[in-house]
Amino acid sequence: MDLVQEPGGTPSKAEIRSYFDPADGTLDRRVFADQEIYDLEMRNIYARAWNFMCHESQIPNPGDYFINYIGEDQVIVVRDKQGEVQVLLNTCRHRGNALCRAEQGNAKSFVCSYHGWNYDLNGDLIGVPGMSAYYRKDFDKSQWGLAKAAQVDHFHGFYFATLDPDTPPLPDYLGEVGRIGLGLLVANGPVEIVDGIQKNVIDCNWKIAVDNLFDWYHVQYSHASAGIAGFMDIAAILHPKNQMVMFGDYGHAISGPVITPERQAEIDAMTDEQRLAVAAAGMLKDPNRPVVPPRLSAARELLGPTGVRCMGHPNIFPNLWVSTNGTQLSLRLPRGPFATEIWWFTVLPKAMPEEVKKKQIAFSAHLFGPAGMLEQDDGENWSQSTRASRGVKARGYRHHMAMGLGQDEVLTDASGTSRVETTISEHAQRWLYTNWMNWLTADSWAELKANHPSFPKGRA
Amino acid sequence: MSQARAVQAEASGLDGLSLQQRMELQYEIEQFLYAEAAMIDAREYRAWLDLWTEDCSYWMPIRRTVTLSDIDKEFTKRGDMSFFDDDKKALAMRVTKMESGSSWSEDPPSRTRHFVNNVRVVALEGSEITVELAFSLYRTRLNTEESMWAGRRVDRLRRVNGALKLCGRDIYLEQTLIRATNMSTLF
Repeated sequence: MDLVQEPGGTPSKAEIRSYFDPADGTLDRRVFADQEIYDLEMRNIYARAWNFMCHESQIPNPGDYFINYIGEDQVIVVRDKQGEVQVLLNTCRHRGNALCRAEQGNAKSFVCSYHGWNYDLNGDLIGVPGMSAYYRKDFDKSQWGLAKAAQVDHFHGFYFATLDPDTPPLPDYLGEVGRIGLGLLVANGPVEIVDGIQKNVIDCNWKIAVDNLFDWYHVQYSHASAGIAGFMDIAAILHPKNQMVMFGDYGHAISGPVITPERQAEIDAMTDEQRLAVAAAGMLKDPNRPVVPPRLSAARELLGPTGVRCMGHPNIFPNLWVSTNGTQLSLRLPRGPFATEIWWFTVLPKAMPEEVKKKQIAFSAHLFGPAGMLEQDDGENWSQSTRASRGVKARGYRHHMAMGLGQDEVLTDASGTSRVETTISEHAQRWLYTNWMNWLTADSWAELKANHPSFPKGRA
Repeated sequence: MSQARAVQAEASGLDGLSLQQRMELQYEIEQFLYAEAAMIDAREYRAWLDLWTEDCSYWMPIRRTVTLSDIDKEFTKRGDMSFFDDDKKALAMRVTKMESGSSWSEDPPSRTRHFVNNVRVVALEGSEITVELAFSLYRTRLNTEESMWAGRRVDRLRRVNGALKLCGRDIYLEQTLIRATNMSTLF
């Protein structure tokens, strides 16, 4: 059964296991171009994973809603009349029309613009025009409420949803590395989202964008012009000798610079007042030469002794990037094999002084997004990399993803989490694709958990 | 007189000008804006930068699809997130980036054509002139990328030693999801 190619072209499990070879670090380019692989990703990854929805500050009041996606399923994230966050499929049960056509807003209920079916904020069908005259009361409204996500939960106000009732609880799904990754967002206290989500669409496969967030190798070349322009001291942010990769459950990972133990000892000796002063002075002096703002002392408990040193980029599998030291979030929403919507959320500690907030927001606007001094150049690299996966000849050549393979000692925390502390490497990308294959070849959450790749040990 | 026109005349500071003076001002401003657009399309970015005052602002808010009842929230406000929130220094960085030889989003360079029309002088205040206009910006990149942006601009111009300079540009796009790989061009 496993080896049979299904009539629709769904790749067999054996074939999927050939896409990435962890032993030589090469990747089949078909993963960026085949519609069948994409369709399988929608079913086996996006419909099963916890997907990021929004932050609580975006929907503070009953009726506030924000539209997001779980794979290709559009969902309404709404605070209901009881104050609970509901995740409802944005499709009328009658003819499938979208109920919300705005991206965000406030509603008393959701009325379909086609025939006027009316749903309560918790998804119950509460009104059907013509109930007596046309349906002649032969209709059970209670059976035709909106479809809902199977589970909704949040981590420090960041809401997630999954379509699969068997998905492990969010804290278990995140595991330690996922919790550190999201923890970076709240390491300096409670946060809120700045109004305005930047959205654009890039002609690239979503995995090219995810690979890139772990990739500190491209920075010096892709983003050289941002350095020449004086926007950012590229060499200063790289810390090429002080890099860390943390391997997380289900494919989460963190990759990037790490605070040296010596520097961390200096930070540990500072009071919170001193740390805040250093962070504010750095941003006010020159936002384009950011000193790494020392995290407050409470962050050690939240992030742990290793996580507190982390300055890298976490990805919450499959597609949520916690960027720039926890000040922005980027969702990479698949739109077919050849297109990805990039959404940027900007996150600020509520207690940050107004003057510093202003600088931080301007810096975030200049950094990423379609006009960002860094991200302008990413999009074209990603779209051309994706495009080249379509050629009959080109797709026969596997991507090289072997930087540092077998060359680093794996360190293990008391908590059991594995990491390497090394130079720039591609350990995180290899971990991503090792897990990605596991998701695609599992028929259920039970199988996914059973086949969960164990954290690297010895050498990675 | 329609309400819109009445409001404009009252708010503009233009009512003291004769028709002849208004026509001359309109002509001068249009010629300035056409020349400015041509400069970008000719990739004369450094000369374009000189058209801006040192205290200038160049801003493009984020637009959202909202219901009519939420229409006041269609655009983000100043100080919230935006696509562009530049001062002169940030504009200069964009120009330096494009000239660097390693700005991959602009090398090979984009081909752009800026169209400026429906130009209306809406306010005169001291040395500053506020102009509203409709623009369209057609761009192609490489062989396959094609973008068409249209929108409304509010430009603020100032006379400095007799010459017109730009001191502000607010760009309101007719797009919510930006349907382009990037916005590496100047608007």
